[in-house]
Amino acid sequence: MNKAQRIAEYKEYSPRDSRFTEERYLLFLEDITAVFDGFKALDIEALGIEYNELRVIIGPNGAGKTTLCDVVSGKTRPTTGSVFFDGGDITQQTEAEIALRGIGRKFQTPTVFDSLTTYENMELALPGHYRLWSNLFGSTTKAQREQIMHILERVGLTDALHREAKYLSHGQRQWLAISTLILSDPKLLLVDEPAAGLTDAETALTAELLLELKDDHTLIVIEHDMDFVRQLDSFVTVLNEGVIMAEGMMHEVQKNEEVIEAYLGR
Amino acid sequence: MFRKAAITHANSQPVETDEENLWQDKKIEAERGLVNGELSIFFRRYVPWALLFVGLVVIPSFYYLGLITIGTVNMLGRYMAFAIVAVGLDLIWGYTGILSLCQAFFFALGGYAMGMYLAHHGGPEGIIDANNWKIPACLYVVYPYKVGEIPGDALVPWFWKPFYTLPITLVLGLLIPGIAALAIGYFGFKSRVRGVYFAILTQAITVAGWLVFCMNNMKLCGTNGLTRFDRIAGFKLTTPHVKVSLYVITLLALVGVYALCKQVVKSRLGRILIAIRDDETTLRFSGYKPYIYKLFAFGLAGMIAGLGGMLYAPQMGIFTPTNMEAGASILVVIWVAVGGRGALSGAILGTLGVNLLYNFFTSEKNLLLFTWRAEYWQFILGGLFIGVVLLFPGGLIDLWHRLVGKAK
Amino acid sequence: MLRLFRIIAFALIKILGALSLCAAQGDDAFIRSEIRKLADEDVISRKAAIMTLAKSGDLRVEPILESYRLGEFYLWNGEMVLCRETVEDEDFNEFCLLSDVLTAEPILGADGEPTQIPLEELEEISPSRAERKLANSAKFLVRLSSPEPEVRMSGAKKCGDPPGIIEAVAQLEEMAQNDPVKKIRYIAKESLLLIRLSRTSLEQDPDAHLEIVRELGEIKSLRGLPRLQEMFDKLMVKVEALPDFEEGTDIEDLEPADEKALGIYKYAIAYKYAMNQINSYQGLVGGVGNIFRGLSLGSVLILMALGLAITFGLMGVINMAHGELMMIGAYATFEMQRLFGHTPDNSSDWYYVAALPAAFLAAAFVGYLIEVLVVRHLYRRPLESLLATWGIGLLLIQLVRLRYGDNIGVNAPTWARGGLEVVQDLIVPYSRCFIILLCGLCVLLIYYLMNHTKVGLRMRATMQNRNMANSMGVNTQRVDRYTFAFGSGIAGVAGCAWTLIGGVTPDMGQTNFIIDSFLVVVTGGVGELIGVICAGLGIGVLMKVIEPLGIGSVVVGAIWAKILLLIIIVGFIQFKPAGLFAPKGRLSDV
Repeated sequence: MNKAQRIAEYKEYSPRDSRFTEERYLLFLEDITAVFDGFKALDIEALGIEYNELRVIIGPNGAGKTTLCDVVSGKTRPTTGSVFFDGGDITQQTEAEIALRGIGRKFQTPTVFDSLTTYENMELALPGHYRLWSNLFGSTTKAQREQIMHILERVGLTDALHREAKYLSHGQRQWLAISTLILSDPKLLLVDEPAAGLTDAETALTAELLLELKDDHTLIVIEHDMDFVRQLDSFVTVLNEGVIMAEGMMHEVQKNEEVIEAYLGR
Repeated sequence: MFRKAAITHANSQPVETDEENLWQDKKIEAERGLVNGELSIFFRRYVPWALLFVGLVVIPSFYYLGLITIGTVNMLGRYMAFAIVAVGLDLIWGYTGILSLCQAFFFALGGYAMGMYLAHHGGPEGIIDANNWKIPACLYVVYPYKVGEIPGDALVPWFWKPFYTLPITLVLGLLIPGIAALAIGYFGFKSRVRGVYFAILTQAITVAGWLVFCMNNMKLCGTNGLTRFDRIAGFKLTTPHVKVSLYVITLLALVGVYALCKQVVKSRLGRILIAIRDDETTLRFSGYKPYIYKLFAFGLAGMIAGLGGMLYAPQMGIFTPTNMEAGASILVVIWVAVGGRGALSGAILGTLGVNLLYNFFTSEKNLLLFTWRAEYWQFILGGLFIGVVLLFPGGLIDLWHRLVGKAK
Repeated sequence: MLRLFRIIAFALIKILGALSLCAAQGDDAFIRSEIRKLADEDVISRKAAIMTLAKSGDLRVEPILESYRLGEFYLWNGEMVLCRETVEDEDFNEFCLLSDVLTAEPILGADGEPTQIPLEELEEISPSRAERKLANSAKFLVRLSSPEPEVRMSGAKKCGDPPGIIEAVAQLEEMAQNDPVKKIRYIAKESLLLIRLSRTSLEQDPDAHLEIVRELGEIKSLRGLPRLQEMFDKLMVKVEALPDFEEGTDIEDLEPADEKALGIYKYAIAYKYAMNQINSYQGLVGGVGNIFRGLSLGSVLILMALGLAITFGLMGVINMAHGELMMIGAYATFEMQRLFGHTPDNSSDWYYVAALPAAFLAAAFVGYLIEVLVVRHLYRRPLESLLATWGIGLLLIQLVRLRYGDNIGVNAPTWARGGLEVVQDLIVPYSRCFIILLCGLCVLLIYYLMNHTKVGLRMRATMQNRNMANSMGVNTQRVDRYTFAFGSGIAGVAGCAWTLIGGVTPDMGQTNFIIDSFLVVVTGGVGELIGVICAGLGIGVLMKVIEPLGIGSVVVGAIWAKILLLIIIVGFIQFKPAGLFAPKGRLSDV
């Protein structure tokens, strides 16, 4: 599907029609621009992410990938345009409100809480404990503990269960960050460069994990590593200088001359 | 430990720490191995109880046996009131990572509440105002008459009246600092003022508060402060038994505050506080609203500081605005830093340690070659600030852990 | 043209007058002979002598007239002598200690002892009541004829102060017209009006009186304000006693009693109008003066905050000892003053020229030491650096206190005393002008250093990406060290400037400046120089403008102004958490 076709298809729906998002798109960005000091970091006419889709966003450095994530997760307010998520407008909401609505984010560098142990990090990610009193008096149930252990086993972090996160290796931190994201069970996962700094084996495991998640989550993966993207074998959006340059499956995109010139050809 | 944390979560250098981490890993494992030794477990289990026993039983009985003076007991009681404030600060600074420089302000709010109660029931009798209220002696002597007013026109101001009864005073002495802390925290945290900015802001607020309390026409007795205390709940403050009782009450309050903070720190909420210290932004993306937790910790620390002030006032016998000077707030910080931040017991240890040091060095001593004068204490204090930051970032508690480890 | 002519003519007259005066002063005999005339039999001759003495313009005449008034002059063998003291011998005989009539110095006998004359030998000169009064007034007139403008000015001022010297009217009129100094002309006119105001009563000659009131309002006389207020208050007592007019009373139907009441209202309005005229002018002038005071305070704050902002931006270090560096600058100024032996009486203005670089160097040196010994280990750890540098501050304060004690006085150089009267009653002190200029110069210097020199490039590079700069061959450690020292030096200059307008104590930095300058940094943001400048000036001016505001008699005052300002800043931070000029984009995360 080429760009024109896709945009034409988006436009058949009115984003403000609740059916629209409920039926097909979990996340929809409409006419988004983000301008910093006169520099247009992002300029997207329309971008829709369907339910249970794994969307990969690639692009050269400075293409606006991270800005896109910032806009969706509420870290940056777009200069114009709206973000619709799960049937509602989230453009003006704060980070915490957006997170509560079900958008989870893993940052480019793995952000875990250094002074907390692996287990404690996971505990904090348990959904539904955002209130003050429940945190002061509540405790983790057995089912929740099992859930935590299950995920940690999957990524092989059980050995480091009671180690403070600052003593984990880089790969372990990446996985801990992904694990906390999985545990918090968001509707949409924004995963920013999950394979950065990982070995090949670790990369493969990460890809496997993400694909597993696709069954009952929607994911946006931002990545540099082409091998990793190929492993994911999903629908790809190419960003360049803040604009969507091409969309399609990886093998289609790879043939796109514009893309080759801007990115792959280098 | 702290420096390490600061470096590893600086986003700009993600990869650099890899090797260092492994090394650090081993080091910590080694250290933990020592710390978790049998001796350490023994110490950890029994030392606090032993200290409590010393504080509750040994010191009062020493006094009754005539081994120490009532002055010493009273001094220890005052230092424990300080320790209460320090525990509160450790909660907000050591755990949550927010450096508050207005703990002394909250301390003074509590102290003034109690001081006003004591002033109501103190001083020479007999000065009654037009509304049949007895004017506290310390207020009467510095009453700010307006032009044309004569001494007979002095009135007890409305904000003195609630502090006439002890229960209301106790409640207000906790509530007022708590509400003040919530208000300051709300405006600070809501707009995401962080780190040094918050520290500076709170210091500015402390100075502002100090200036207001120094103003004589605020009818808070100006720079003279609240004086001429006499009785608390009907007991004369000067009698030794009352002093010993106040000491014991302060010690129990300290234990209570310690237990409360320990409970907070151990709960999930405590881990959220640590998460705020480590990386507030990430926490926000996980769906938490950090400012609510910060408010909670700050408000609690404010109330704790107020409690410390309430216990300090009757033991000191006077309460003046000097207790809320900018320097006083930073002093609380140095107590915690010397003890070891991020460890509640460290806060207590540090407070007692620094204050005993202060007590020792602020008396004139004839040394071999020169005379040690009280004002030289400033040099020791300044040196403490520099030394603790540069040489012992872990504080006394860290030193203690190492010692215990080595003892094995 | 006419005016020019007048000035020249007047100058000529004055020069001639001065010459004759010089002659008179040189020729003390003239004054002595006039003094001798005070003992004349003839009243007219005596009065003429008093007036001649008064016109001499010689300040020595003042005590002579006073002595005459008190009856301290005596005739002794036909000579005029002054006797201020008497002594008694064992037999209770009184003796006079003779003094010279002009110099009032004791007359020494041949044996070198003061000459003593038995009281009986002296003939007392006792002036009549009228003469005493005349002598008293003449005392003021002496000053009016002085060639020194300052003396004339103070004389003119005194003549107008209650009860008013009626004898001075003629001379004041002359001065109000022809004195070459504009300010003296104004004061002479003002005094003239004030004298007349007290001499014409409202009851007897309302029109003349009101005309004077009107004129006082016209010239915006500040000295007239309390007098008008007093008269107005008196009148208001009468007004309150008056019956109310019935509403709708036609002016034509007023009864005689009412007409009198209406008159009183009219007078009250005239007073009020003049007072309002003065008040609104003085309010305006006061407001401008406050803004100016605020600007100079803001300038000191900027000098302080610049160093703070640069070191915070560059190294992520909060320097709480910055206020103490300022204090060191102030003490360096004090040392220079001592070295040059500058005192208020014996001024040696060059000390200040030496003090500026000395203050800079002293503070920069201490700053350098602080960087090398402590701050170097605390990069990017603002909270720890805050504590450590607070400790340094305590050490420095105590050291200085041990060395200098608690309070020292720095005397401003003569050129920084006084001020320029821009318009009537708006005096711009030279010291404050100088501080604003100095601040402007420093800002320009820093701007040039940062943006147009290699050193500045290195500094900016280090500020933005330390590792990158390092790998490109910038010795970041050296950059840090010199930047820190430079920032400290600027604080020293601030301290030196402060000595012109404020007191110097060891803890001046800690109590007065550190928090305010941090608030400037917080408000301005660490990103840009311009932020610090805007915030510094804004905070300085706001502080001084809020201070005198008030509702009725309740004035905000310095403390509440500070608190109000703090509230304003906290409110401001709600909207702009990172300050006026915050770094944007990716940098903002750091």
